[in-house]
Amino acid sequence: MLEVLFIGLSLGSILLLVALGLAITYGAMGVINMAHGEMVMVGAYVTVLSGLWLGTNIFVAIPLAFIVTALLGLLIERVVVRKLYGRLLDTLLATWGIAILIQQAVRLEFGLSFLGIHIQGLGPGLQNVSVPEILQGTLRIAGADINRYRAFIIVVTAILALATWFVIYRTVAGTQVRAIIRNPKMAAACGIDVTRVNALTFAFGSGLAGVAGVMMSGFKTVFPDMGTPMVVDGFLVVVMGGVGSLLGSVFSAGILGEINGLVAAATNDILARAVVFGVVIAIIVLKPKGLFALKGR
Amino acid sequence: MLSRRRIDWVIYAAFIVLIMVFPLIMDSFWLNRLAKYLVFGMLGIAVALSWGYAGILNLGQGLFFGAGAYMLAMSLKLASTTSLQQGSDKPVPDFMLWNAEPGAKTELCCINKASFLWLPFQSQWFGVAMALVLPVLIAFVLGSIVFRKRISGVFVSIITLALVLLVRLIMIDAQPVTNGFNGLTDLGWFKLGEFEFDPYVVPTYYLIAISLSVVLVLARLLVETRAGVILQAIRDDQNRARYLGFDVPAYQTFFFAVSALIAGFAGMLYVIVSEFASPTFMDLSFSITMVVWAAVGGRASILGACIGAILINMISATVSETEGFAEAWKAIIGLVFVLVVLYLPRGIAGLAHDLIDRFVARRTPDRTRALRVNGASSQLAE
Amino acid sequence: MAVDRRKFLKSGALAGGALITSPWVFSTGAKAAGEIKVGVLFSLTGGLSIIEKSLHDATMMAISEINAGGGVKGMKITAVAEDGASDPKTYNEKASKLVIQDRVPTVFGSYTSASRKAVLPVFEKRNNLYFYPTYYEGFECSKNVVYTGAVPNQQLSNFIPWIIKTLGKKKFFIVGSNYIYPREMAKVSKILIEKNGGEWIADEYLELGHSEWGSMVNKIKSSGCDVVLSNVVGDSVVAFYREYKNQGLTHDKLPICATVTSEIEIAAMGAEYAVGSFTSFPYFQAIDTDRNKAFIERYRAFVKDPKAVTHHALESSYFQVFLWKQAVEKAAEISPTAIREAVKGQEFDAPNGHVKIEPENLHTYLTPRIAQWLPDGQGKIIDAYKEPVMPLPYVAYGETPTNLFCTGKGLDAAKLKT
Repeated sequence: MLEVLFIGLSLGSILLLVALGLAITYGAMGVINMAHGEMVMVGAYVTVLSGLWLGTNIFVAIPLAFIVTALLGLLIERVVVRKLYGRLLDTLLATWGIAILIQQAVRLEFGLSFLGIHIQGLGPGLQNVSVPEILQGTLRIAGADINRYRAFIIVVTAILALATWFVIYRTVAGTQVRAIIRNPKMAAACGIDVTRVNALTFAFGSGLAGVAGVMMSGFKTVFPDMGTPMVVDGFLVVVMGGVGSLLGSVFSAGILGEINGLVAAATNDILARAVVFGVVIAIIVLKPKGLFALKGR
Repeated sequence: MLSRRRIDWVIYAAFIVLIMVFPLIMDSFWLNRLAKYLVFGMLGIAVALSWGYAGILNLGQGLFFGAGAYMLAMSLKLASTTSLQQGSDKPVPDFMLWNAEPGAKTELCCINKASFLWLPFQSQWFGVAMALVLPVLIAFVLGSIVFRKRISGVFVSIITLALVLLVRLIMIDAQPVTNGFNGLTDLGWFKLGEFEFDPYVVPTYYLIAISLSVVLVLARLLVETRAGVILQAIRDDQNRARYLGFDVPAYQTFFFAVSALIAGFAGMLYVIVSEFASPTFMDLSFSITMVVWAAVGGRASILGACIGAILINMISATVSETEGFAEAWKAIIGLVFVLVVLYLPRGIAGLAHDLIDRFVARRTPDRTRALRVNGASSQLAE
Repeated sequence: MAVDRRKFLKSGALAGGALITSPWVFSTGAKAAGEIKVGVLFSLTGGLSIIEKSLHDATMMAISEINAGGGVKGMKITAVAEDGASDPKTYNEKASKLVIQDRVPTVFGSYTSASRKAVLPVFEKRNNLYFYPTYYEGFECSKNVVYTGAVPNQQLSNFIPWIIKTLGKKKFFIVGSNYIYPREMAKVSKILIEKNGGEWIADEYLELGHSEWGSMVNKIKSSGCDVVLSNVVGDSVVAFYREYKNQGLTHDKLPICATVTSEIEIAAMGAEYAVGSFTSFPYFQAIDTDRNKAFIERYRAFVKDPKAVTHHALESSYFQVFLWKQAVEKAAEISPTAIREAVKGQEFDAPNGHVKIEPENLHTYLTPRIAQWLPDGQGKIIDAYKEPVMPLPYVAYGETPTNLFCTGKGLDAAKLKT
């Protein structure tokens, strides 16, 4: 039973890992970033490429991926997203286009494949990340075999969630972000550089996705389309939790993860997934603003 | 105002005439391909109705399309002699035989627990009826719950999204009844009396073209009715409409169901021209693609969304079939989406409107139409 | 409102222009003399391009080799390559383009059954010819398809008895992706398991493309089985083997015996996760013949990737073009029907060994092999049939070499009664 609960917790932590970045970009900024999954994918490819070309391991890849995806996020914000604030559904469409572009860029090796140049680690195929010995196999805790890598993910997710909470609720920048969530115009009138804060927030959210990508690369497959299903799950978590509520995302990820784990153990994985979808629908119908709705104005 | 409305209808008529004269200049391949794109154009109309007019962004339109497709495909499967005559005097679809438990009775009623559901589909017209009724039913039930609860905006989108994924999952898992991931293939042809609709012949094209024309005109008439105007008021300010005493959920549910009806009808027609139904119709990416079509064409324009769908598919097909672009075409399409959202927020229809405005301002009214056509072709050349 | 109406005006005219020009501008069907067009239809975009791109490359390589060797009947082969985009809808559309507009006499294509099923009506109703290179579930008898991948009896008939007798494992946990191929493989496996005195204790499925294996591996762990038979497909495979090791299971105690895990998945997961597990396929990159080594060399040069791996479906994609070439040379005219008649009984020395098209059911004789995965990501072939095995697409329903269900006349429905 402990093992089943652990798996549920692990599933929840993986959901949260992807959802954290979305909770920032969507929850705080009102950008439906369909390219978020591609940020995860880019983070995973950073792990692959840094391993191949620099010989570094997954721990080094974490800050590296954060920087790369944050910069990519900054670029996307500058070029596209900035022009679309307040147009929620337009952000969905534009970022869907961006998602396709990023996928194709990786698949076609930034277009170099047309010139006959092959970059090892890119291209349409599956890639592979080796995991340090210390994260392989199991730990024996309280009579249960605990999967080390999953435990590692749970720890990293917890750290990231705390860091995010700290940034948003305990720093000046975070206060500015929250001010902008409530009322951008008023925030600007109070002297907050809304453009700059928005750009940095988007970069931060993208950076979190990059870290998620590093973690995914260690036990899932790395390939150009890997992010698409993740972004869907991420949105389910954020919306069910209540838009703009970090705590809500944490809770809904935990609930969905445990439900998935328990149902899968009792019956099968397909039914478990169906139940998860059902629960999301039911919760939104029952609580139309999500579990933890932000009380506005 | 009146003359503009007339001009508007002239354009509708022109579009309809255009799609009607195509068979004169096309080979059977393009005829079939265009028929498929016209079906997608119909999906564009469905999206424009629910998104552009009702303000409901349905990210699960594929559910209705898929429902329509499967309902007719079930009937056509039971009309396919090659599929049925595999190992039984009492015909059952080939895949049921394949998925049967050892020793199961090879009859449609009871080869597996749910196969009896197929029984009424032995009549093609039952399949047709269900293809229209089922999407409306789903939309009605869903709409009644969701809109009565005053759920709106992105929450509706998430519900529809979760629902389409849920149904897709079940469809794939229920392999003995649905043939799972492979979908329903090896179908018979749709029949009208003695006439069989071969997907590559002119009458089939006309079946699609006429259907699209009818849907187009009816949808357009519908949004001009009082109900349509009230709906747009609801889209713009739900609360105000509510305070004015309108039954907001009823209007929303009605238009949601109409949109579902059109999508289901499109699914049914798609099966006739493509000869298969697949759970990929309910893939999330397909549902999002439909929304993109409508956005590119102009979400608040029935004809615009329809043309957007046809145009994007045409561009995708021709670019992907151009030497050297087989791998790059998707990136080009992605770029187009980004550029359209950034620079043409109201889509092609919006762009067209702006251009016309400029011409109208400069030229005398009676010359504007010719200029519009010129403007259109220069647009195309770019 | 006026705004909207004028929008229609413009967009109507715009679409009009596009619709009229398209067929004329884009569909040029010119046929140069001295060339023979064929269709090549694999996914170059979307999720399945992971594998299908390599099948596309292998097909193109075979075509370029044939052209370099003087072509076929003195004609150059021109490949019309289309992108199936990992979507059956696109597959269906592109197939009709190739068959009806480009008028190719043959198309090489498809990896998944779903895509094959989606193009089948085009080939059957237009009486064209499709060459399908992937191992699949059988239960198909189309006179318009030549199947050059393995069918269940060519992957399982040696595998299951070998697991039970040589490995000494008797309790099977069967796991697969949730669609027809794994389910059909499971069905054939169960028959063979029971026949050989083993038992199966579970038969579980996961959504295609699912990559969360925590619960399933935990189930395997507590099930008491002593061997896992995996029919898991695609990128799920990688997550499966990784989770397997991460939950502390090892292949020396509880081996995974797979029917789909090929070099491409092993490379993607990292060989350390698969060391000691088994796979059954007619072709492995490790086949130790000069012909195969030369083939790998040429393929790597062709795709400009010195580390590229070869695998079963890739190899079939390659050799089937040569079978087709021989058929065209034998055929009196270049038409799908003539090519089909001529391909019956064609033989070829492929990288995996001798292959032959069975004249009755148009499937291919292949040599079943079992390999154990080594730390370098290559299989060590530890068991192989001496000669190619006859393809029996209906083996699960009692088909035997002397009692074929699928013959040149079509499927004998009477024999299929359950």
